[in-house]
This record gives sequence, C-alpha cells and structure tokens, in this order.
Amino acid sequence: VIARHFAYETPRDLGAATAILAAGGAGVAVLGGGTWLVPNMSLGASAPDVVLDTRHLGLQSIEESPDELLIGARVTYEQIKASALVRRHAPLLALMANKITGGLQITGQGTLGGSACYANPSSDVPACLAVLGARLQLASSMGQRDVPAAEFFTAAFVTARRADELLTSIVIPKCASPRAGYYKLKFSTGSWPIVTAACLPLSDGEKPGLRIGIGGACVTPVVFSVDMAAQEAASVEASVAAAATQSIVDEWSDEFAGPGYRRAVAGAIAVRALRACQGAAR
Amino acid sequence: MTAPLQFELTLNGARCEGEIDSRSLLVDAVRTLGATGARIGCRTGDCGACTIVVDGRLTKSCLVLAASAAGSTVFTIEGSTDPVTTTLQQTFIDHKGFQCGFCTSGMILTAAQALRDKPDLTDDDIRRALSGNLCRCTGYDDIVRAVRAAADRLLEKRGNTAAKA
Repeated sequence: VIARHFAYETPRDLGAATAILAAGGAGVAVLGGGTWLVPNMSLGASAPDVVLDTRHLGLQSIEESPDELLIGARVTYEQIKASALVRRHAPLLALMANKITGGLQITGQGTLGGSACYANPSSDVPACLAVLGARLQLASSMGQRDVPAAEFFTAAFVTARRADELLTSIVIPKCASPRAGYYKLKFSTGSWPIVTAACLPLSDGEKPGLRIGIGGACVTPVVFSVDMAAQEAASVEASVAAAATQSIVDEWSDEFAGPGYRRAVAGAIAVRALRACQGAAR
Repeated sequence: MTAPLQFELTLNGARCEGEIDSRSLLVDAVRTLGATGARIGCRTGDCGACTIVVDGRLTKSCLVLAASAAGSTVFTIEGSTDPVTTTLQQTFIDHKGFQCGFCTSGMILTAAQALRDKPDLTDDDIRRALSGNLCRCTGYDDIVRAVRAAADRLLEKRGNTAAKA
C-alpha cells in the first residue's frame, strides 16, 4: 500500500481529463503504463494529490496519414514492436523498442508517451523522438498544441508540458529511407543505457547527409547533422565522432558513469550507430 | 482520508468484489484475496516476483494500482492450469529450476507467456523473455534448461498430435 493518500480519477473522455488537470494543476499525476509513477509513489518520491488514470481514454492506436504516423500516448513498446506501420515508416522506433530492457512485462506495460513525459535523461525514447523530428500533441481545456521533440525536453525530468496539459499522441514524419541505425552502450543486459546513438540518412533531396541523435549523455537529447558530400568513409566517421563529442555540452552524470565519461564515449557510440545504419538495408 | 473504492475483478475464475483503499497496489489486492503466489520482492518493477496475467497481458503487479485493474480478469500462478504452465511446472522440478522458490511463480508465468508467443523459442529468446525476472539462487542456467525442456516437450506433443490428425 502506498503511504500517502491521493484521489483516484478515471475520466471517460478527454474533456473530463483536461478539466481534472485544469483544476488540480501540478498536484495531478498522469498515470499511463505505471512503470514510473507507481514505484515512485511506493517509494514516496512522488506524492501527487490526484492520480489521473488514462485507462479509459483510448490513446492506444497507431495510425497513419499520407506523411505521418500518429502514435497514441498509451502505445506500449510491445505494440511498437508488433506494428508493421512503424517498421515501414519509422524503422528506428522499431529498433529502439526491440532493445528496451526489463523483459516482457516492462515492454508490455511501459508506454512511449509515458517515457517521453518522464524525460529521464537515461531513457531511450527522448533522443529517438528528437532525431525523428517528432511532434508531441498536448491537450488542455484551453485547446491543443503541438510541440517539436527538440523543444519538448527542457531539462532532466522536465518537459515543456504544462501541468494542465495531457500528452495525447506523438506524430512522427514518415521516414523516406528504410535505413536506420541504433546503438546503445550499457554495462549489463538489464542496465539503463549509458549513451545511446541513433543515425538516419538525411531526407532532404540530393545532398547526402546524416542526422544523428545522442541520448543519455546530456540532460536533454542532442541532434546534429553531418554532410557526407565529398567525404571518404573514414572521414565521415571522424566527422561524426567529432560532432558527437562537441555536442555533449550539458553532460549527464550519475552513479553509472561519472563526469566526463559520457563525453569521452559519445563519439565512439555515434560511429557504431552510423555503421549500423550503413549496414542495415531492409 | 481517501474514500474507499468499490472494486470488482475476476481472480483465477472467481468473481471478487468489495471495497479497497485506492492506495493499494494490485499485488497487495490479489494477495489479500488469497493468491499469495504473487510475491512482493522489490516494489520497484525490477524483480518480477509479482508477475501475474491481467486481461491476457503479462504484468508486474507492483506497478499497477489495484484500482486500475477494476473489472479485469486476473490470473496468478494458482489459477494457471493450462498445459503450457503445468508442463513448465514439471520441467522446473525435473531440471531444478529453483532453490528457494521465491521467484518461481513469476518465472513460470513469464516463461508460459514467452512459449505462447513463440513455441519454438531459442535459448536467447528464453533469456531475453526472462530478463525482467530476477533469481538470486540458481544463476539462471537451470531455469533456461527447464524452459528449454518444456518447449521441446510441448513441440513434441504438438508434432504427435499433428501426425495423428
């Protein structure tokens, strides 16, 4: 039993949900898959006045428009893994979901939207959303707005979501290329990633290039592009490694890796993602 | 004070209803209802000892508020009597897939789900599927052997049935 008392709400529609958020503000915790909120409440690290359970709100579908994928905020990693739409139009997300640790239970309970809103610097999700150019759709009683992933993650465990807003879905532009590379450094099978790197071919027409996202290394994900025109393979790798190292400004450090470590390895991890991307053609 | 919630669920085939404290975890609720095969190991979602099946989905029940499972159909090890689970129980005995037994109900329910998802799973698949269940006694090798043996036995049985048909 959780020590601190709270009110439990299960709104039946979005209007009721946003009304609860508007009234309760920062005292309301939104419950998605529960893999973060519930243990944090058990430990006393999170002590909301109200728990808003989203279980009756749907938000569990994966749909497409001509140019984009729409992923409901409650979609789990298992759903991502099983989705042919995701494999075809956002292969990076499928690669990422296949490497989530914690076993069948966590991949079946944990949600993409929950991980985004929790904004743990060590999570796989933020950097993938950033490099994919995703938008996060937020609803409140005032209306709806879209926030680009690059602006959504503002600090460790902090996002641009206002306390009166609810994440409803994540919009991902369809990737033109079937190529994607994902690599993460971790010290044991079940460990949090120390540094993650995602690599995608740039999609803007004739100019060959790469877009790389680094996660786990800074308080928020970093994304940069590398021009591949007129570069030898070896020098592309050197450019990627240099750009990755340079991108680590606000370095994250914790009990798994102290100050300086993530910056030191970021270049090598980015190069492994690059090689995975170049080796991977579906 | 938190007002008690009206609560009902189907646990191992039996309908249960009553009032619960909204602060209860699902693992607390099913244990209170007698299904103590769901164990409390960590309360952080790491150890997997509280693993149960909620509406067909393998679940760490320490990560779920009991209130969130209202109306659900829940199976713990006590109510899991299907051939996959009972085969696993026998192969865990045959291959000494446990010592203290604390993790065993979670291990078996997780392995059963993995076997249903992919009957011809490899040893790597087994290890990946069980990676959210911790055992501090066996070093895992005997557990993997037990699941491997169950997979082989079930495939053989299925082959025999197919041959007869």
